[in-house]
Amino acid sequence: MANERTDLMQGTLELLILNTLARESMHGYGIVQRIHEAAEDLLKVEDGSLYPALYRMEERGWIKSEWGVSENNRRARFYKLTSTGKRKLEAERANWNRISKAITKVLQAT
Amino acid sequence: MRTGLRNLLMSLNCRKTAVDVEEELQFHIEMLERNYAQQGMSGAHAKAAALRRFGNFEKVKKQCVEISRRNSQLRRILKTSLIFIALFGLSVRTLSSDYRVARIGAMLIMIAIASRLLLYVRGLSSRNFLPGTKQTSLSLFTDTPDDALRQKSEIILGHSQYRER
Repeated sequence: MANERTDLMQGTLELLILNTLARESMHGYGIVQRIHEAAEDLLKVEDGSLYPALYRMEERGWIKSEWGVSENNRRARFYKLTSTGKRKLEAERANWNRISKAITKVLQAT
Repeated sequence: MRTGLRNLLMSLNCRKTAVDVEEELQFHIEMLERNYAQQGMSGAHAKAAALRRFGNFEKVKKQCVEISRRNSQLRRILKTSLIFIALFGLSVRTLSSDYRVARIGAMLIMIAIASRLLLYVRGLSSRNFLPGTKQTSLSLFTDTPDDALRQKSEIILGHSQYRER
């Protein structure tokens, strides 16, 4: 698989994180793994850069974190969606739908 | 004395934030290392691969600590201001004999309480106070057929935006 990269739209990573946390609370490593698995390695989140995104999302009140114990008995910080985050996820999903429909229409028209 | 104590507390709090961030990032690297080791890499190779995949540890740590501190400092300033506003309103309300001034005091108390509740419910968004922050990296492998890409997009978002029409 080629490693050619395309920058995705701003806010896409936040949308993926919100969507991943919609099912259950997870630590950062789990979030990256889940996105990679779901995308079957088509999407690549740079592991380190996930954390500033998580911290900003927490700062905005979309997610909140608490320390817990991981599957291998290590202390880890788990993130979960807040009610604001749930609303944000729904809004971002709707926004994503609108944008993708609009782009598809433009591509089909030309 | 009081300023010194406050500085000490702030310094301890900042140090704790940095330690927490480092522990969190270290956990991620160790998990990556473990994963690579399970795939058959030697210890040194697994560690090198994990560090490579994670990216610049110090830079990420610095960014996270910065965001945490900014958030907690703003929060502290706002909370303190709200307490002062409420106390000022209370003193005006109780000490003033003029009905109108007392009413202003009551309004200040209500504003402070409402703002505090809003802070509690909504959290504090730095975007309301500070310039926009940098986006993080997310890349898309581009040599994939469109159909496969659509399928993956649906899987990730758990949504049917492509099926609707």
